[in-house]
Amino acid sequence: MGVLAKRKKKRDGGEIPMASTSDVAFLLLIFFIVMPMKADEIGISLVLPGKSNNKTDTAKVSQKNVAVIRVTANNAILFDEQPVRLGDLEARIRERVEANDKTVVILETHPDANYGMMVACLDEVKLSGARKFSLKTTKL
Amino acid sequence: MQFQRSTDKRNNDIPTSSMGDIAFLLLVFFIVTVVFTDEAGLVVKLPRAEAGEEGVRDLISNIFINKQGMISIDDVIVPSTSVAPIMMKKVSENPFLIVAFKTDKETPYRVVDEVMEGLKEANAVKVFFNTDMELPGLMY
Repeated sequence: MGVLAKRKKKRDGGEIPMASTSDVAFLLLIFFIVMPMKADEIGISLVLPGKSNNKTDTAKVSQKNVAVIRVTANNAILFDEQPVRLGDLEARIRERVEANDKTVVILETHPDANYGMMVACLDEVKLSGARKFSLKTTKL
Repeated sequence: MQFQRSTDKRNNDIPTSSMGDIAFLLLVFFIVTVVFTDEAGLVVKLPRAEAGEEGVRDLISNIFINKQGMISIDDVIVPSTSVAPIMMKKVSENPFLIVAFKTDKETPYRVVDEVMEGLKEANAVKVFFNTDMELPGLMY
């Protein structure tokens, strides 16, 4: 009798607890909802001029309407050939564009300069709100 | 006439037994719909920028360029001369293609310039420079 009672007791506790399955499911659910949010693409968009097979696409701009930002080989920034700090660049561009709304900003980068420096300048140009803008590479 | 107050309190609880089923159903939905990027790419440290905007992920094709100037498109290391033919094929498949530069901030601009020339050749003119988010207050 004593042996039988013992065996029955053991069988009672043999179920897997199912009460927390919904908690597990919700946890996984939150993981799969949040996961794709992380990989958002953040960046600066730009349209390149494309293949210039006809000369009519290229616009001639008067020299006085041009503001040149030059990134040199050792990552220094020149605005109209004057050295400028990255933090001041936005204000300088804004000043130029407000004085003359025909201003075209040219970002000229030396091939040996860092890409990060060029993007930092591009960022400043975007922040300044200059509409007319083009990229150029220093010819060696 | 006297109203009889219901004494039946048994069915006042919201049934929660099916919550797990609902959670699992949603879970399956999110697992099936989530799209993980299957492109390993190269290890890059993106430049920081304030003017970052969100890109449309479905239209984006990535070009990874690391510090050493290695170029990776669809997990294949390619020389800069093959960028134009590869992109030409991609643009013919999707004319709204946006090319995203996932480029290390210390990459020499020379490599980026060569790739951009290839893109102009292939008429893939919409480019996107991926950046890291920068909070204005946290700069330096």
